[in-house]
Amino acid sequence: MRVLGVDIGGTFTDLALYDTQAGTTHVHKVPSTPDAPDQAMVAGMGEICARAGVKPAAIDAVFHGTTVATNAVLQHRGAAVGLITTKGFRDVVHIGRHQRPQNYSIMQDIPWQARPFVKRRHRKVVTERIVPPAGEVLEELNEAEVREAARSLAGTGIEAVAICFLFSYLNPLHERRAAEIVREEMPGAFVTASADIFPQFREFERFTTACMNAFVGPGTDRYLEQLAASLREEGVPGELHVMMSSGGVATASAAAEKPVTLLLSGPAAGILGGVWAGELSGRARLITFDMGGTSADIGIVTERGVGEASARDTWVAGYPLLVPMLDVHTIGAGGGSIAHVDGAGGFRVGPRSAGARPGPACYGYGGEEPTITDANAVLGRIDPDRFLGGEIPLDPERASAAVQALADVVGLGLHETAEGIITIANASMARAIRSRTIEKGHDPRDFTLVAFGGAGPLHAAEVATSLGVPEVLVPPYPGITSATGLLTSDLKYDQLRTVFMIEGRIDAARLDRELSELASLVEDQLLQDGIPDGEITVVAALDCRYVGQGYELRVPLPECRFTDGALAEFHLLHEQEYGHAMGDPIEIVNLRVTATGKRPKLGPPCVRAGSLADALLGEGESVFRQGGSLTRLPTQYLERARLPLEEAVPGPAVIFQRDATALVPPDWSALADPSGNLLLERRAP
Amino acid sequence: MSVAETRVDPITASVIAGALDSIAIEMGHKLAHMSYSSIIRESEDFGTVVCDAGARQLCESPQSTPLQSGPIPGYVRGINRRFAEIGEEWKPGDVVMHNHPYYGASHGPDVGFVVPVFFEDQLVGFSATTAHHLDIGALTPGSCGIVDATDAYAEGLQLTAIKVVEEGRVNEWVWRILRDNIRMSSVVVADMQAQIAAARIGAERFLELFERYGPETVQGASEDLMDYSEHVLRQEIERLPDGTYSAEGKIDGYLDHESPAYRDLPIVASVTVEGSDLEVDLTGTAPQVDLPINMPFEGTVDIAIYLVLRSILLDSDTHDPVPTNSGLFRPITITAPEGCLANPRYPAPTIARFVAGNIIAETVMRALAPHTPEAVAASVGNLKVIASSGLREGGHWVHMDIIEGSYGGRHGKDGLDAVDTLYGNTRNNPIEDIESHLPLRIKRYELWPDEAGAGQWRGGIGSVRDVEFTEPGGFSIEADGNKWPPLGAFGGRDGTAGSIILNPGTLKEEQLPSKIPFRKVEAGDTIRTIAPSAGGYGDPAGRSIERICEDIADGYVTKDSARRDYEHYRLTS
Repeated sequence: MRVLGVDIGGTFTDLALYDTQAGTTHVHKVPSTPDAPDQAMVAGMGEICARAGVKPAAIDAVFHGTTVATNAVLQHRGAAVGLITTKGFRDVVHIGRHQRPQNYSIMQDIPWQARPFVKRRHRKVVTERIVPPAGEVLEELNEAEVREAARSLAGTGIEAVAICFLFSYLNPLHERRAAEIVREEMPGAFVTASADIFPQFREFERFTTACMNAFVGPGTDRYLEQLAASLREEGVPGELHVMMSSGGVATASAAAEKPVTLLLSGPAAGILGGVWAGELSGRARLITFDMGGTSADIGIVTERGVGEASARDTWVAGYPLLVPMLDVHTIGAGGGSIAHVDGAGGFRVGPRSAGARPGPACYGYGGEEPTITDANAVLGRIDPDRFLGGEIPLDPERASAAVQALADVVGLGLHETAEGIITIANASMARAIRSRTIEKGHDPRDFTLVAFGGAGPLHAAEVATSLGVPEVLVPPYPGITSATGLLTSDLKYDQLRTVFMIEGRIDAARLDRELSELASLVEDQLLQDGIPDGEITVVAALDCRYVGQGYELRVPLPECRFTDGALAEFHLLHEQEYGHAMGDPIEIVNLRVTATGKRPKLGPPCVRAGSLADALLGEGESVFRQGGSLTRLPTQYLERARLPLEEAVPGPAVIFQRDATALVPPDWSALADPSGNLLLERRAP
Repeated sequence: MSVAETRVDPITASVIAGALDSIAIEMGHKLAHMSYSSIIRESEDFGTVVCDAGARQLCESPQSTPLQSGPIPGYVRGINRRFAEIGEEWKPGDVVMHNHPYYGASHGPDVGFVVPVFFEDQLVGFSATTAHHLDIGALTPGSCGIVDATDAYAEGLQLTAIKVVEEGRVNEWVWRILRDNIRMSSVVVADMQAQIAAARIGAERFLELFERYGPETVQGASEDLMDYSEHVLRQEIERLPDGTYSAEGKIDGYLDHESPAYRDLPIVASVTVEGSDLEVDLTGTAPQVDLPINMPFEGTVDIAIYLVLRSILLDSDTHDPVPTNSGLFRPITITAPEGCLANPRYPAPTIARFVAGNIIAETVMRALAPHTPEAVAASVGNLKVIASSGLREGGHWVHMDIIEGSYGGRHGKDGLDAVDTLYGNTRNNPIEDIESHLPLRIKRYELWPDEAGAGQWRGGIGSVRDVEFTEPGGFSIEADGNKWPPLGAFGGRDGTAGSIILNPGTLKEEQLPSKIPFRKVEAGDTIRTIAPSAGGYGDPAGRSIERICEDIADGYVTKDSARRDYEHYRLTS
């Protein structure tokens, strides 16, 4: 079986092709074609197939990571959306939680008011009302009003309709009936019912999620359709699958119905690529650290797998989002982040970025402000001729000039300033990692830092040092880790239902009944996708809290059945998460069921042993802080592909490969692992 | 560097600034997740701060409401004052509870918990949390709408520098007093425990910073960061022309009170700019009253003023981020004559001071507006706080809702609609949460259009919210802005005052004033609150026809009012 992973980003389209029988992997990178993304995919696919000596017709399945829905939200370019909602609640999506995003600002905008997914003129109300606790119908749905609303929307060029009724998570019948009527009146429109995306309480967040889904729906649908068509034209028989924010993949047709689940498609694939690399070397507790040109994505992986973001804390482009997402933390620090002194003398790095154009000063594209990449160049930590495989020759003079200009303002020397830029950037990344681990009761010292992205391996050892992390793992293909991650994922579908049951009054029979209903829904979806019964795993969980609390913790139900043990487990989890447990009764808020269908996984890469002599490209000087002062140290430049296996190379050294550069500081050593990973280890504490 | 002298290098200062921020963020995150009452976990009416040994603020959680985090240094100073009076001192392992509004606390329901941080036997700082509690044992249920308390004793428990944990030993007796004197005490006490846990996490992390970098570096960086924030604010003050600028605002007070001393009360602010110093003098503000709309000078008045000055001069949307620390207070002096609403004498009651304080902030903004027109809004629509309660299965239920206001039009932008204003920045409670847990039904929650002030940039639109009791219960309300509409600015029209109506559209319909002491209701009774719509900015003649038509299409204004308010629209249509 041959599987192809394609990660289409704004600048590059990354590809990985894996032959499960032969155990061979090929990777490739081509420039993206943002106006017609399928062109880059087709071109890249042709090239990678040629290298592998196979025809596109031999590809059994294509896995895709996409930014199409993300960009539609970030750039606010989506469909014209109409909303049909419960009478009396026309403006829930406009008022939101009535909180200003910023405490100290008069001139701020509120995203959902300044850039609504649905203009008020397209928000229609209809008579209906469902009430808790069990979704009783207080007022019947007025179908004539729904029809009237749909007709009036149809006349105004609306392409997509969100249907958002209060308490639909308890009883979705009104929403579903309204959706039917809208489809009758508006054939061809993209229709979303809020409970069908994710039936969870908190109306503003659920309605906004549904509106966002409608907003990105038609565009994502067309995009996936176009990709699939291009693949068919190239004779690729396999079905197109898309990576979701949850870290699972869905078929393109399932994904097209819930495009709002694709917003973190790329970063999720990156974390999975990091997990795959960790597994190659037998590491289970990982901090994934994906640093590119404008930002760094951080993920935490434990024996329990990749953490999922709490629904209360998930935001995209300033809008709340209630869908399962891997817990990816993004900070605005990348190779292009600009260092500057603000109006009052504060030394800052980012969040402003020079991006790819003009890019860092050393690119020579006209950028004049010093960036993190310029600082690395000044310190001799990247080789100007080998940056990104030599595709962009760097101009170290320009880097020095840009950093020197800043040094003059700060009143420090050139190297001090360059090293300061790196220190501030590394500290902010270390801080983000600390907050993600220590806050959750994890000790970062028990983790391995998996560094990828173009800039990750360059910064990882110093970030690890400040966290006390003893080991850094650089995956085999650090520049295309997301594309490899695409080939490690399972098909995955989630279902959720809000129940609100309190300890002492728990109806276990009802819980089990609802769990099995949810389970059969997700199982059916996998069976439809052609996954054989034996390859399907279903797991369940409860979202619980102490009665009165507002945030839930997730308690796993491995047997898909409710047991009293689950409640005991909750006390333990609360203790672990917050440092103490309470004696109060527990409230079950949501039931969750996830079904996964196994897919063939990417295998280990082929590794050849070299020798240090082969690997040595030359020697230079680079600058490090040693015992408080900056010192120039002789530094070995090595080529990764030719390193000997299992032979520690002491730092300082810089290790090059086509798509990334790894820095081995003085107190660290590097070792090529037979698994294909490069391991950096801290020698002295 | 333009800051004259620094104690540590700018790189280390930047690293420590980030570390301090993450401490406060972690505290806020833990508190929100662990707490029980919706006023803390949903509305986020809480604050988390770390102070140095001199009670100077070093950082705060951005999740905090400004009116909760801002007062924390005052809480610590108030505890120190009480300790000095009784010959007590801070010891390792202490946890101190405090809510006395004449000892730096914001008002009684905002209880602070302070944990001292010791490094090698030296007191090096404090980690503190404040939060609004549902009930603090006042005369009627809930901790808002206690508008008929005649003195501080009627407002509930006065907790002045109480060591609930003394050198590591828990004082169970204090908790017993609380449990016996507070409604819904199990929730209130659990929230307090969450506050203590969050304050302890902050203390632990702050100590780790000392262990890691050493006291000289942490303290040096702290001083540098405060100097930095001070310097940034001074730069902005210097841009304002020297001089004294005044404005007067009005609060409703008690509209149904027989004595004029309680109604239509003036708030006067005179802002004097001299170089990089700025003084706010509240002389001319109405005398204090024996009802609880007096505002603690420290903890409410000062915070309202700091908040609005910072939001105008260092607007986080248009400026580089500035560390939130006590350096920001240094360029500003605040005076208010003793015995006025803004500086009452003990035991004048203060528990319902919230909405009046927003008018202080607003009046300061209006005083400065002519000199910084591109950074201000026309007048805001004020807020309302409602306590609903009842007895169920033998115990009380108490619920608090803060009803949003709206922002006035701004330079180049319309006002924000239906949003918490100025020093308040809480969140509403989801309807799906309220109805699942309380005998309340929300029947309507929408914008209330066509009442915002016209202008080149229209005022923000208020909301309407109808809440029905499905069981007998009671409610109380503290609000303002039912009589005095938000004013327009630079030629913009005034907005529209808000209102509170019991049982609208029925034979029992009743218009209520903005202060409503506890009142019983029957099942089926409905309270309608209408938030004020804010003032317009700039001459309405400057509004583009296109924007007016967009507003009409979205139902924000009707054609009739557009014809009335916008002459150029009338002539073209």
